[in-house]
Amino acid sequence: MIDAFLFIGLPYIALIVATIGCVRRARFSKFSMSARSSQFLEDRQLLWGSAPWHIGIMGVLAGHGIALLLPQVWSYILTVPPAMYLIETVGVACSLLALAGLSTLIYRRLTSARIQAVTTTSDLLVVALLFLQVLVGLLSAVSFRYGSAWSTATVVPYFWSLLALQPDMSYVSGFPMLFKLHLIGGWLFVLLLPFTRLIHILAVPFQYLWRAPQLVIWNTTRRRKQALAASIRAESRREFIKGAAGVTGATGLLALGVSSKAINFFKGASQDPEAESALLEKKLQRLKLTAEERSYELERQRNTMILVAGYAELDAVKGKYFIDYAMAPGLAFKGKDGMPIVISAKCTHLGCTVSSTLDENGRIMCPCHISYFDILTGMPNPGAPAKAPLPQIAWALVDAGGKVLASNTPGQASGKVAAPEALAQSSLYITKPGKTAA
Amino acid sequence: MNAKEILSHTEKYLAERLPVEKMNYASMVQKKEVPVHGLAWGYYIGGLAMFFLMVQIATGLMLLFYYQPTVSDAHASVEYITEQVPAGALVRNVHAWASSLMIGSVLVHLLTAFAMKAFEKPRELTWVTGVLLLGITFGFGFTGYLLPWHQVAVNATKIGLQTIEQIGGYLPGPMAEWPRLVKEIIQGEASVGQATLSRFFAIHVIVLPLAIFGVLGFHLVSVQLHGMSKGVDEKPRRMEKFFPTFLLKDLRVWGIAFMVLFILGVCLPFESLFAYPLFEPFDAKGSTPDGIKPEWYFFWVYYPLELLPLWVILLGSAVLALVLLATPWIFQNTNRKTLRLVAIAAGIYLLVMTLFGENIYHLFKG
Repeated sequence: MIDAFLFIGLPYIALIVATIGCVRRARFSKFSMSARSSQFLEDRQLLWGSAPWHIGIMGVLAGHGIALLLPQVWSYILTVPPAMYLIETVGVACSLLALAGLSTLIYRRLTSARIQAVTTTSDLLVVALLFLQVLVGLLSAVSFRYGSAWSTATVVPYFWSLLALQPDMSYVSGFPMLFKLHLIGGWLFVLLLPFTRLIHILAVPFQYLWRAPQLVIWNTTRRRKQALAASIRAESRREFIKGAAGVTGATGLLALGVSSKAINFFKGASQDPEAESALLEKKLQRLKLTAEERSYELERQRNTMILVAGYAELDAVKGKYFIDYAMAPGLAFKGKDGMPIVISAKCTHLGCTVSSTLDENGRIMCPCHISYFDILTGMPNPGAPAKAPLPQIAWALVDAGGKVLASNTPGQASGKVAAPEALAQSSLYITKPGKTAA
Repeated sequence: MNAKEILSHTEKYLAERLPVEKMNYASMVQKKEVPVHGLAWGYYIGGLAMFFLMVQIATGLMLLFYYQPTVSDAHASVEYITEQVPAGALVRNVHAWASSLMIGSVLVHLLTAFAMKAFEKPRELTWVTGVLLLGITFGFGFTGYLLPWHQVAVNATKIGLQTIEQIGGYLPGPMAEWPRLVKEIIQGEASVGQATLSRFFAIHVIVLPLAIFGVLGFHLVSVQLHGMSKGVDEKPRRMEKFFPTFLLKDLRVWGIAFMVLFILGVCLPFESLFAYPLFEPFDAKGSTPDGIKPEWYFFWVYYPLELLPLWVILLGSAVLALVLLATPWIFQNTNRKTLRLVAIAAGIYLLVMTLFGENIYHLFKG
């Protein structure tokens, strides 16, 4: 029964009284639509009270307002976890700021004699209630986490049910006492709106944002000089604070961004097992390739003959790459007479590897500076960047039994010649310079 | 002239170039002033180059935590940095971009210092150390290029080193063998392989940084001792305090540079500027892929090298190096207007060769 009064009766009474009261006050006492300023009486404490209080409470109210009026937008934003953390953090920070400011204002109202002179009982009531309301709000936000999310699904439908004249308090009647207090407090403020200084909420001085600053001009020279000096001081202080805030903010953001990247960089990758095994496999593959190369090198130091390919693998147009005794690339073709043509593939110009496909003139090309080499003589085309011919490489054809069927050493006449059917079973070897095929 | 006189001459010379009596707070901080005139933007370029160097040191150290300088693992570790390590792609990309920007600003710094006659007495040694720094910076570029061990890196390095061997053809008698020996000393073995990688790595991360710290230290101290050079023949509009006015402006330039660098690093992979997909691991048995060329900052010498006989380039480079080192003495009586024209001509040459070198090459070679 008491719940029904507090969550249905009180809201309607408050809304009706507030509407009628505000309209009345606006009609019949237009110039009282404000909070009486006390800035002339005391301005130092006011700055440190009023500014934080208003900044903080506006932040908090903006959150409440968006949630109440645009619940869908609000809950959409809250589905992003970082956004929710941000909203919660900003909310708590704003209410702490508001509380700090309000404490200063209360202290000022209770201790300054000048302010005492203009303080009414309703001012004290409002300020005390506000303090309690923000405190209770902050406590409920801290003790029941993620209020921004859960209240969107409870308080907001309750609020809209009231507006739709179908009041449904089942949304809120199960709340803990602390939060109920906060809700009741809210309606109480609606009720108090037309009768206290709270009315100034409805008289927001938006034009302050763009109107020109008001200059107080003094008529005596001394006062004018003082005022000028004071305004210069204030201006330079403002500029300094702006600059310092900009630099601090930028440096802070920069440090934050860079360190967040840097810390993660040094923390290293967190890999799933699949990626990790893929990486290991790749590394193993590369190691095997390197090992293979090393073994080639060793082979070339120890063996007098090295296998290039089976005779059947040789082709007349597409050469087969191999590594020669100098650890440089070589190419093996099958010549027109069926004998292999074995030639170095290291360009005599700048050491690029010559490509392996013969053109229609029986030449292979170096892609780096476009030299064409005739594979029979090794000579480059006239005018090519390469001047020296590609050297021929000594080779031998050996059959399965280890018998040398044919061999060739550059600068010497070809060795034995064998029957084609025997050649087909043989393999092509290169022979170490200075040694003859055995 | 006897030994004593030579000694006292040297002493006087050095005392004039290194006025250590100015090494105090009053003249280095309180009194130092920077002239304001039309070419005053040139005063920011050297600092900008140093800023990029600092970025290079920071990102380079970060890469060093993951990079593995072996033939089998180098490419895989670079791939790991770019693909797996958080922000690894960013760090590597910033390293690549900052290297180019550093070389770019060093070149612009060289041209503006020349145009402003900043090598005038007593700043000769500042200029000479600057030329050495240019060489070191190119050394950084050349050695760093090999480290990822992909096709372009290894093949371009091979060609670059092979060019040294070519010099042998112009030398008489037994001297013809020397360039090949020099090449093999740099290379560490008969062809570009593990030894080369180890050496380039050592040079890139230890030798050149140590060298640049020493030379840059001298360069900076002498800049600080002599103050900013006058820069123009006419009287400067006004002077501004180095501390804090110029320093703050300098920091602002650095801030903008960092932002540009960061945006480039995040948005545009350096390798995307290459028209060919050559970033596969180096394949010792494959043919050299088409379109191998060095980094853009070598284009000014690379394309002429492709077009002209080697000896022309060798002669030209030798003359250029000597002229650069001897600039303070060769141009000591030249006025700034002429110097400015020479610098503009050199700048246009660098720009044209870098941007249109390939077109020019095709124009002549088809």
